[in-house]
Parts: sequence; C-alpha cells; structure tokens
Amino acid sequence: MAFELNGNTYETDEEGYLVNLGDWSEDVAGFLAQQEKIDLTQNHWEVVNFLREYYNDYQIAPAVRVLTKAIGKKLGADKGNSKYLYELFPYGPAKQACKIAGLPKPTGCI
Amino acid sequence: MTVLTICYALVFYAATVLLVGGLAWKIADYARTPVPLKIPSTPAPPSTGGVALRMAREVVLFESLFKSSKWIWGLGWLFHVALALVLLRHLRYFTEPVWTVVALAQPFGLYAGFAMIAGLAGLWARRLLVERIRYISTPSDHLMLVLLIAIGVTGLGMKYVSHTDVVAVKAFMLGLMYFDWQPLPADPTLLVHLALVAALMAIFPVSKLLHAPGIFFSPTRNQADDSRERRHLAPWAEKLEKAKP
Amino acid sequence: MAVVEFETPRLKEYPVIPILQAGAMAHSQPFAAAAPIQKALGFPGELVEDWQEQAIAKMGELLGKYRSLKVYLDTCVHCGACSDKCHYFLGTGDPKNMPVARQDLMRKVYRRYFTFTGKYFPKLVGAEDLTREVLAEWYTYFNQCSECRRCSVFCPYGIDTAEITMAAREIMDSIGMGQKYSNEIIGKVHKIGNNLGLPGPALEDTLAGLEEDIKDATGADVKLPLDVQGAEVMLVTPSADFFSEPHVESLIGYAKVFHQAGISWTLSSHASEAGNFGLFIGNYEQMRSISMRVREAALELGVRRIAVGECGHAWRVAYSFWNTLIGPFDFLDQNYPVPQHICEVTYDLIRRGALTLDKAANDHRIVTFHDSCNVARGSSMGNMPRGQFIIPREIIRACVNNFHDMAPESIYESTFCCGGGGGLLTDDLIELRVKGALPRMEALKQVVDEHGVNFMATICAICKAQFGKVLPYYKFDMDMVGGVHQLVSSAIRLGAKQ
Repeated sequence: MAFELNGNTYETDEEGYLVNLGDWSEDVAGFLAQQEKIDLTQNHWEVVNFLREYYNDYQIAPAVRVLTKAIGKKLGADKGNSKYLYELFPYGPAKQACKIAGLPKPTGCI
Repeated sequence: MTVLTICYALVFYAATVLLVGGLAWKIADYARTPVPLKIPSTPAPPSTGGVALRMAREVVLFESLFKSSKWIWGLGWLFHVALALVLLRHLRYFTEPVWTVVALAQPFGLYAGFAMIAGLAGLWARRLLVERIRYISTPSDHLMLVLLIAIGVTGLGMKYVSHTDVVAVKAFMLGLMYFDWQPLPADPTLLVHLALVAALMAIFPVSKLLHAPGIFFSPTRNQADDSRERRHLAPWAEKLEKAKP
Repeated sequence: MAVVEFETPRLKEYPVIPILQAGAMAHSQPFAAAAPIQKALGFPGELVEDWQEQAIAKMGELLGKYRSLKVYLDTCVHCGACSDKCHYFLGTGDPKNMPVARQDLMRKVYRRYFTFTGKYFPKLVGAEDLTREVLAEWYTYFNQCSECRRCSVFCPYGIDTAEITMAAREIMDSIGMGQKYSNEIIGKVHKIGNNLGLPGPALEDTLAGLEEDIKDATGADVKLPLDVQGAEVMLVTPSADFFSEPHVESLIGYAKVFHQAGISWTLSSHASEAGNFGLFIGNYEQMRSISMRVREAALELGVRRIAVGECGHAWRVAYSFWNTLIGPFDFLDQNYPVPQHICEVTYDLIRRGALTLDKAANDHRIVTFHDSCNVARGSSMGNMPRGQFIIPREIIRACVNNFHDMAPESIYESTFCCGGGGGLLTDDLIELRVKGALPRMEALKQVVDEHGVNFMATICAICKAQFGKVLPYYKFDMDMVGGVHQLVSSAIRLGAKQ
C-alpha cells in the first residue's frame, strides 16, 4: 500500500504505518494525522517528537509509563497520565501516535 | 444347506472380520501414534488411578456430556445403556448354557429395546429440529440413526409381531461360532434384522462409531496432570532434541 | 486504517444461544504475513505452487505425529454438545464458529484424503477436496478460534478444537499462508528477545524509570533487577508487563513481593518474554526454540528458581510443556516446583505470613476475577486440586475486602475466553474480538449490576490488553481490568514487618 503527497509516493503497510522510517517528515505526519481524523496541536507534537527521539535512542517506542512521565514533565503533571494521552490519540497513544510519528506499530500482548 | 444360510454365514464371517480386524488396526494405529505434549484438560487428576476414574466416569456416566446439555445427555445415555442391555440380552444366542448375568438381564433387555428406540428417536428429532444440530449433520449422521432404529424395530418386531424361531436362530449362531453351520430360518424380519446388524458391524471401523475406542485414546481425558513432576517426551521429539542440542 | 463498521452486540439479561447467521463472519480475516516475516521462521514467503499436494502431505505428517489430531478427526459424532460453547459463536451467530463446524472444515478434508468412506462415498460423510475455497475458509475460520479449549470441556470425547486449529495453522504456514500478527511477533522474539521487540537498553531504561516511580510513590527502594548473576529467582514475564497499562502495575506488584519477602530475584534480557506464540501457530519447533531462551538464561545467570509472571498461555506452556521442551530442570532447586507461577510464590509467602497486606487500601475496588482460559483448562497451580482457581482468588481475598465471583457457568474450567487469545489480539480482527467478548461481558454486567463490581482482575497479558480495548465498546470503563498483582501492589505494606 502507498499514498501520495506533494508528488512523492510513500509506502505503508496494511494499516497505514510507514514502511521506511526515513520517509517521515512533518508534512507526512500531518497527512497521517488527517487520515486518523486528528488535528495536530502543539501538545500532539510534543508526543510525536518525544516518540521519535526515544525511538532514535532505543529502536522501540517508549513504554506507556515512560511516555506519560515524559509528557508530564513537558506539559505539566496534570497531563502526565494515559487518560490525557487517550484524549490526544483516541485509538491509543502507543498505536495511533506511533503511526503519526512514522514509527512501526508496537505489537505484542498490548 | 440353503443358499440363504450360506450367504448369511459368509456375510457374518466377513462382517466379523471387518469389525475385529478394522478395530484392531485402528486401535493399533491410535496406540502407535505419539503424543508429543501433555494436554490434559484441567482440572485433571494427578495420578493414573485418578485418570482411570475420570475415564470410567466419562464412559459409564458421560460426565462431560452431562455438563454440556441435559437433553443430549439424557437421550444419549438412555440409548447407550439400553443398547448395552440389549446386547447383553442377545448373548443368549451365542452362549450355551446361557450365562447367569444374561439370564438375569433378560426381562430388562426387553424394555431396553423400547428405551433404545425412544432414545434414538429423540436424538434424531434433535438432529432434525434443532437448527444448530441440523446444520452440522451429514447424510451419514441421519443414516446411522435410521440403521440403528431399523435394527431395533425389526428386533422388537420378531418379539411382538411375527415371532421367529429363536431356537433355530441360536443354533445358526452357535453353528457359525463352532464352524458347524446350521440352517437359518427364512423369516423376512429376521433376515432384515441380521443384514442390518452385519452392515453395522462392517461400517464400525470406518465410521463415527470409532468414538467407542477413540475416547480411550483422547489425550485431554487420559493424561495425568503431572507435567512438572514427570518429563514426557515423544520419540520424534527426542530425535529433535538430539539433532539440535 | 481500514475500519469495518460493525455493531457491538447488545448485552442481554440472560445468555441466549443465537439463531444461526450463515456467513456472518465470512469477511473476517487477519492480515497475511508478508514474505520476509514468513521466511524468517523458515516458512515459504507466499502460497507455494503445489500447495494442495503439500498441504495434504503436511496433514499426513501431522496425523502421524499427533495422536490428538488423528483421534479427534475420527471420533466426533456430531452430537452438538459443543455447538453452543464457543464465545465466538455466541457473539457472532456464524455457524462455522460452532466448534464442531470449525473442526469439520478440516475433518471433511481429512475424510476425503485419509479415510475409506471419504474416498469412496464423499457426499455421504460430507468429505470434500481441499480446494482454494476450502483453503480460504480455513484461513478465515481457523483464525477465529482462540484455542481456549472451552469446547473440549463439554465434549464427551474430550475433542479439543485447539489441537485442530493448531494443526490447520501449521499446515497453512507450511504452504506459505501465515498470519501476520503471530508470525511477526515470533520473528521479534528470535531477533530481539521478546514479543514487543524491546531491546536490552530500552528494557533497562524502562525498569529504571519504574524504580523511580515506586520510590516516589512509596519511599521504598524496590528494585527491578536485570541480568543479575546468581539471583535466587529468575522471573520470566510477558513483555507487555514492561510496556503497557495496566500490565505494568502487576510487574510493580511482583517486585514489591520479592522486595518484601527478601528474595533476591532478576529479570533476564535474554528471556525477556514469557509468552510463546509458537503455541498459537501449533509449531513444536518454534515453541521449543522460544522456550529454550528461558533455559539458556537460567543457566547463564545461575539462578535457583524460575517464576512466571501473569500470562495465561505462557503459563500453559511453562507448566505443561517446559519440562518436555526444555527440561530436565535438574540444575534448579528441587524444593520448589519448576517452573513456579508468581501467584504460587505470593500465595506461599502470604500463608507463611511473610507479607503484610492492608485490604483497606483496595476498599475503593469491588473485585471480580476472570479465569484465563489457558490457566484454567491447560495448567494447574500449587500442587493441589483446582489450585489454578483457588490460589489467585485466595490472593485477591487477602488483598481486598470486596470480592464477588461471576456466574458459575462463566468461571473455573467453564470460563469464557476474553475474545483475544490464541494469536487474535490484533486490530485487524477487532470486530471478532468485540463480538467474542460478549459472553464475558454479559457475566461481568451481572456482577456490576448486582454487586457494583468495578474491577476485573486477571492473570493474563492478553486478557488485560483485550479487555482494555473492548470494555469501552460495551460502555464499561477501560480501567476496570487489571492484574491480581496490581491488587497485591496496592495492598502490600513495605518496610519492616510490623
């Protein structure tokens, strides 16, 4: 599967996750978010950027705890919980946010 | 010796060979096939004695079926117990002198004939009337019930409608067993009854009637819950172990 | 994401056996495993040319290797005892989700190629050639069985549909028709060490973060040690325990138990996964090589005991198969069962009075317990009859004041699968998962209405993830599900024993 954006073609898997991590850009993120019916706000970007940084360091998306703690530190303690993350990414912060961040889908017993 | 007698004699020898040979082959095949993993459905007994008891409850009381559905259990159990009594009663045609236990079962055996047909009729009604059971039924499932009902009806027919010469029948059966053939009465009901029984014997090892030996080989029921205490290793798995340490 | 619209089933007051709706779930299929995923496990990348021949040959091979398969394909009498026992049938009404009908998808092919009647009288016994259509049906409906074994409890011959589903999946894998979710995950275990693909450094970072959290919350220095040589106990737990909510709460619970009991313990980065999806695809070799990591890690670290965290199918594999697959365990302490469930560890400690538990800490919870299928029907605990049911409940009772069991026909060995087991916990099967959860949701609703239950404890990572996902479809709060050791974690008093 694939989609086109600004004249470029991007390959995705069956569920719309980017196949090549290097294909990601802010425009691509915007497009993927649109597909998920999400308007990216600054707070969404904080999450997306943290995911990308963490992935860069560890080759895996952060555990939900790690993410909530990091977001709590950045956006305030009241936002450092999974409820808030679910408000941002209703389909689940791990899965939906990873898609927008251009990371592979975390799978397992989760 | 009539052609009829010869035909029936040969048919019964053939049916017996198919039944005994077929079952022996199937049982040997089951016994030879390895069981690589411990898969008892738990809670399961931890010892062999407990397993024997569990198996006995399954075979005699249909314990799991009882848990599943009281209707199937009631009808199925009625049929099987009645069939057992009927078979016991029929031993009188194969034994001389008749065993005491067979003589004692004699009066019950008669009622059992009716009970057996009632049970079968109920099972067939379920198969025809309950949507789910109808969906899973194949032609052979219906035919099996028809066959058993027909055997029962012809059997009772000889008792209550047109009597047959049971002394001669017994002589014929004993004659078959001792290779000293005796004439078979040319009574149509009897001939149908016997032909159907021979058919049942012949198809036993190639049909779902294999559930009878099958249950004893069912790993979910015949294994003990002792996997942490005893290492269980199938021959092919052992080879794998040696190949890739 | 291609989302198929579907309606969440209505919760009825009393469970009702549905009217048949032929083909109701014919459209539900998981994504196929792409070539690289397949090849990594030694399976063909795509459907092989002579797939029919190869499939029949594979079936013959399996019939010679597994008595269960041979006996179960022969013995069914179509009595219908199982026909209303599968949660997927109860939730979808699709007749092919009746266990007997699912088995018949393979049985008709078995009869056609391996039995006298099927070869010569196929119509009579419902035998059929393995056609493309039949193969497609296999892929559809053998991926709608969670291998939970509930049907086998009620079968008069103990026919276990899971054995048949596993064989079907093994046959399909062998001709290049794998399922993406399970096979991709198995690949990650071989490559990285766990289902999630959590590399060692990430694991280390995550555990360090959790230690901080515990310190912040309790003031105690509870450790989550990784790769500690010579520890007494090695804990093998599902990698979801490191990653997800509510799983991680139980991980914290295990840590507190070891801490408070003064038992030295460690996690292993090599064996950082208790789960074993080799079971789901019915592949002995995969199951063995995934399990082997545990043996290797235990030897490497020189531990004396192995404990297994809250994961249902992992416990079945560990309890029932490890001794076969990776035994003998003569190098471990024989005074303890090998392996030991974390619930067995905690239960022993509670009985010995080694833990101080404050039930009042859980007074905001009214708790019920969901028996996970693989624990209930494929294992035991505590070397006591029915220990797998008693021990988790005893732990819960020691930790909470309010506990209520769900309806008797939905617990113990009659428990309903969560709807996501057996390699089906994937978004591409969400409709199946939601509908398959119906029987459990109905039983849950009953105790919610009657007793105000607001917490369903369970000891399985898949159950936790599945319920977290499907509870909201039924208008329940997703936080209602959690682990048994999550309750322990809340109740346990750390520090010097009073």
